[in-house]
Amino acid sequence: MATEPTTLSFGQPVKRKEDGRFIQGRGNYLDDIVLPKMIYMALVRSPYGHAKINNIDTSAALKVPGVKAVITAKELAGAGLDWMPTLAQDKQMVLAGGKVLFQYQEVAAVFADTREAAADGVAAVQVDYEPLQAVTDPYKAMAKDAPILRDDREKKTNHIWHYEVGDQKTTADALSGAPVKIKQMIRFPRCHPSPLEPCGCIADFNGGTGRLTFYVTSQAPHAHRTVISLVSKVPESNIRVVSPDIGGGFGNKVPVYPGYVCAIVGSLTLGVPVKWVESRTENLASTHFARDYWMETEIGATKDGKVTALKVSTVADHGAFDGAANPTKYPAGLFGICTGSYDFPTAFVEVDGYYTNKAPGGIAYRCSFRVTEAAYCIERAMDILADELKMDPVDLRRKNFIPKEKFPYPSATGWTYDSGDYEKTLDKALQTIDYKNLLKEQAEKRKRGELSGIGVSTFTEIVGAGPAHNFDILGIKMFDSAEIRVHPTGSALVRTGTKAQGQGHETTWAQIVAEELGLDVQNVLVEEGDTDTAPYGLGTYASRSTAVAGAAIAVAARKIREKAKHLAAHLLEANPDDIEWADYKFRVKGSPDRTKTMQEVAFAAYTNMPDDIEPGLEGVTYYNPPNLTFPNGAYICAVDIDRGTGAVSVRRFVAIDDCGNIINPMIVEGQIHGGLAEGFAIAFMQEIEYDEDGNNRTTNFTEYLVPSSFETPRWEVGNTVTPSPHHPLGTKGIGESPNVGSPAAFANAVVDALSPLGVRHVDIPLTREKIWKILREKGVTG
Amino acid sequence: MKVHYEGSEKIPAPYDKVWEFMNTPDKVASCLPDVVSTDVKDVTHFTTVVKVGVGMVRGNFTFQVALEPNADAKQVSVNIHGSGLGSVVDQTAVATLKDEGDGTTTLDWACDATISGPVATVGGRVLDAQAKRIIEYVFTQVREKLTGTPATAPSGS
Repeated sequence: MATEPTTLSFGQPVKRKEDGRFIQGRGNYLDDIVLPKMIYMALVRSPYGHAKINNIDTSAALKVPGVKAVITAKELAGAGLDWMPTLAQDKQMVLAGGKVLFQYQEVAAVFADTREAAADGVAAVQVDYEPLQAVTDPYKAMAKDAPILRDDREKKTNHIWHYEVGDQKTTADALSGAPVKIKQMIRFPRCHPSPLEPCGCIADFNGGTGRLTFYVTSQAPHAHRTVISLVSKVPESNIRVVSPDIGGGFGNKVPVYPGYVCAIVGSLTLGVPVKWVESRTENLASTHFARDYWMETEIGATKDGKVTALKVSTVADHGAFDGAANPTKYPAGLFGICTGSYDFPTAFVEVDGYYTNKAPGGIAYRCSFRVTEAAYCIERAMDILADELKMDPVDLRRKNFIPKEKFPYPSATGWTYDSGDYEKTLDKALQTIDYKNLLKEQAEKRKRGELSGIGVSTFTEIVGAGPAHNFDILGIKMFDSAEIRVHPTGSALVRTGTKAQGQGHETTWAQIVAEELGLDVQNVLVEEGDTDTAPYGLGTYASRSTAVAGAAIAVAARKIREKAKHLAAHLLEANPDDIEWADYKFRVKGSPDRTKTMQEVAFAAYTNMPDDIEPGLEGVTYYNPPNLTFPNGAYICAVDIDRGTGAVSVRRFVAIDDCGNIINPMIVEGQIHGGLAEGFAIAFMQEIEYDEDGNNRTTNFTEYLVPSSFETPRWEVGNTVTPSPHHPLGTKGIGESPNVGSPAAFANAVVDALSPLGVRHVDIPLTREKIWKILREKGVTG
Repeated sequence: MKVHYEGSEKIPAPYDKVWEFMNTPDKVASCLPDVVSTDVKDVTHFTTVVKVGVGMVRGNFTFQVALEPNADAKQVSVNIHGSGLGSVVDQTAVATLKDEGDGTTTLDWACDATISGPVATVGGRVLDAQAKRIIEYVFTQVREKLTGTPATAPSGS
C-alpha cells in the first residue's frame, strides 16, 4: 500500500517559480518599460547641506536642445504640490522652496526628449544659493542656539517628537536599588538599504481617458495609489499603480519620493509619459536611510545575574524631514521590543526625534519598524552586563530567557509575545557550533597571544503588523488581502496586496494555495503589484507578507474549500456534513473510496453546479491579524583579529532561526543568507557619513561598501520550529531576522576578541581602521 | 568640506612688476591650469572656465573671480566662486607682497576654500591633495610668468 502523503507542498523546497525569467534576463523591471512618446526627467539637486535659495534661473536650461520644460517649487506651489505628506505624518518639500535642508535635496525638475538632454538641462539650471550653517549632529540640533532647520513648523525647535513606553518610576527605582548596573551609549549608525535597482517611475497620464498609470518601484502599490490621489487630487479610481519586477527594496521602496510627484506633474502638464530613474548616488544620498539611533542603555541586575530593570533613552536623527515609515501610534516604530528575549520585570524606553541637515528618513531597512536597533541594543548590552558580572554571555542569556511556559508573554513594554522556546533554539546553536570546544579553542588561541572572539545574539523579533486596531499608516489600517480564483480545469490564480522584491512570493503563495486546495503548485499563478487587479493591501515590508497576506491566502483558500465541499457533496450524492477533506481530496466519511479531487470539483463549479450553489470557485479575504508574530533566533559567531592590521576574519557563523512553521525551507535559507550578508556589511563596513558642512561622504559604492561573495563568510544555518498559535499556518516571518539578529553577534565577537585588552564596547561599523586604531592605542601594534 | 593652504614664493622680479601682475585679470587668469576660456569683465573681475578632474568626477567648472587690491597693506585678495558638476567652491586667497629691496619680491599666500557637492563627496579622498596641487601651481605660475620660465601643469587626477 502506498504511503499517504503528509504534505503536498507545504514545507517542500519547491524551486522558485520566478527564477526562470530572472536568470534568463527576462524580468520586467521599471527601466525595461518603454512607452510611446515617453520623455525623461532629471533632477537638479542641492550641493549644500543647508542654504537659502535666492534665485533659480532656468532660462539657459530651457534653451538646451531637447529640453521641454523645467519646474521649480514656484510652479508646484501654484498647484499646491510644493510639499507632500511623509509616511510619518510630517511633510516634505517636493522641490526646495526658499531653502535647501540637505545635500542632494531636489531643487528643480528638467523634462527632455532624452536622458542626456535632461542631464544637460540640469547642468544649465543656475541656482543662487546663500550657504547657511549646517547641523549634522542631533546633539548639536538640540542645543539652544542651534539654527532652526524647519521654520515651516509652528514649533520653533529641531525637536520632532517624544515617545515613551514602560514604567518610568518603577524602572528608576529598580535601577537605583540594583546591586549590579551597567550603562552604555550604544550607537547604531546611519546606514542605507541600497537595493541594487535604484528607485524610479514612469508617470503616464492619458488626457483622453483621464487615467494616470503610474509604474513605480513600489513595495506598497496600493498605499502609493492612495497617497498619489491625496496629493494630486486625481480620483483614486483614475489611478492605476503598477509595480513591476523589483530588484530589491529592503524598505527603501516604501516611501513616496519627490521624484515621483515631479514625474506625475510632468506627465499631467506635458501629456506624455515621463520616466525618471535615479542614479546610484541619488539613491544613496536622497532616498530614505535607516537607523541613526543613539541609545543610552542601562540594565540593573542581581549579583547572580538576574536582570531587574532596563532603561533606554534614545536620540533619533531623522534628517531634514521625518520620513520614517512607522505606524501612526509608534513614531519610534516597535523599538519598545528592546527588552528582547529576556524576562525584565520592568522597563522604560524613551525616544526623542530630531531634525538635522541630512537626508530624510528613516525607514525600516529589512526590519520591522526599528526592531533592528532594539535587538542590537539589548544584545550588545547583555554582553556588557556579562562582562560586568564576569559571567559567560550564554549563561547570562539562559538565566534570563522568558521561559517557554510563560507564553503568551506580556512584556514590560506592552507587547504580548505569541510563542517561543528560546532554550531550544540556543541549544541547537550551541550544539551546531560545539560551543564547549569553541571555548577551549579560544583559550588556547589566547594563550598563544591571538585575538579570538566569540559572539552570541539570542534575539526576538516582532513582525507582521497589524493588528488593524493598533497599526495604521496615514490612517490606512494594516491588514492584508488575498483573492483566489480556481479555474474550471483545476489551475488557480492568486492575487494579494503584497509585492515581492525578491522574497519569492510567486512560489510561496502558490505553495499555500496548493497545500490548502490540493492543487499542483506549478498550476497556481501568483499576481501582485497591479492595483487595478490586486485586492487592496498594505504591501511588503516589516516581514509582514507571510504573517499577514500568507494568512489571508490560507483563509481565502479555506473559504473556497468550504464551498467546494458542498459541490463535492453534490457530486458524491452525499450530505455535506458527511464530507471530509483528507489527503488533499474530499471523501465520504466511512467510505474512503468515494472521493473527488479539487480539480473535479472545480470543473463542476463551472459545468455541473446544483441550483442552490453559485457558479464559480473564488475566495477573497481581508485579514486582520489578532496579534503580531515574534520570530526568534540564536546566532553564534567566532572571529579572529589580525594583531598587526586589525582585519577581522569571521571563522564560523551559526544561525539558528525559529520562524514558526516553514513553507519553503529553501527560500527561508536564501532569506537568511541574504540577511546575514547585509548584517555583516552593517557590522563591518557601512555607515552613511556627513562632514560638518553637510556633505555626504558616502554617495557611491566606492565609499559605501556592499559585500560580495568574496567578503561574506560561510553561513551555517538551521531552524527550530515553534509555531505561532494565532496564525492560520503557524508561520511567523523570516525575511528580516538575519539582518536584525546578526549585527550584535558580529559586534559581540569582535569586542570579546578585544576584551583581554580591556575593551568593553566598540560602535559598529567595525572597520579595519577602527580596530587597528584600538590595537595601536593598546600597544598591540605599532 | 573646508580646506586651508598657505605658501610662499620668492619671485626674482621687482615689487611694482609683481603688484601690476597680480592686479591684471588676464595675467592672473593665465596662471590657472587647464583653462578652457576666460572672459574679463572689468579691471577687477573675470570669469574663467576650467577643466577639473577629481577622482571620478570630471568636467568643466566656471569660476567667477574678483580681485580686491589693498595697496596700503600690499595685499591682493582673490575671491573665487566656482560652480560646476552640481558642486560649488567658495574660495578666498590672500596674496601679501613684500619688497625685498634687492629687485626681488616675496609673495606670501594663504587660501581658504569651502567645497560642497559631488566634488567634495565623491572626490573626498583625493580632493585635498588635488586642490593643494592646483593652488601651489597657480602661485608658482605667477613666479614663472614673471620670470619667463615655463611650469609643468599638474595632472588632472
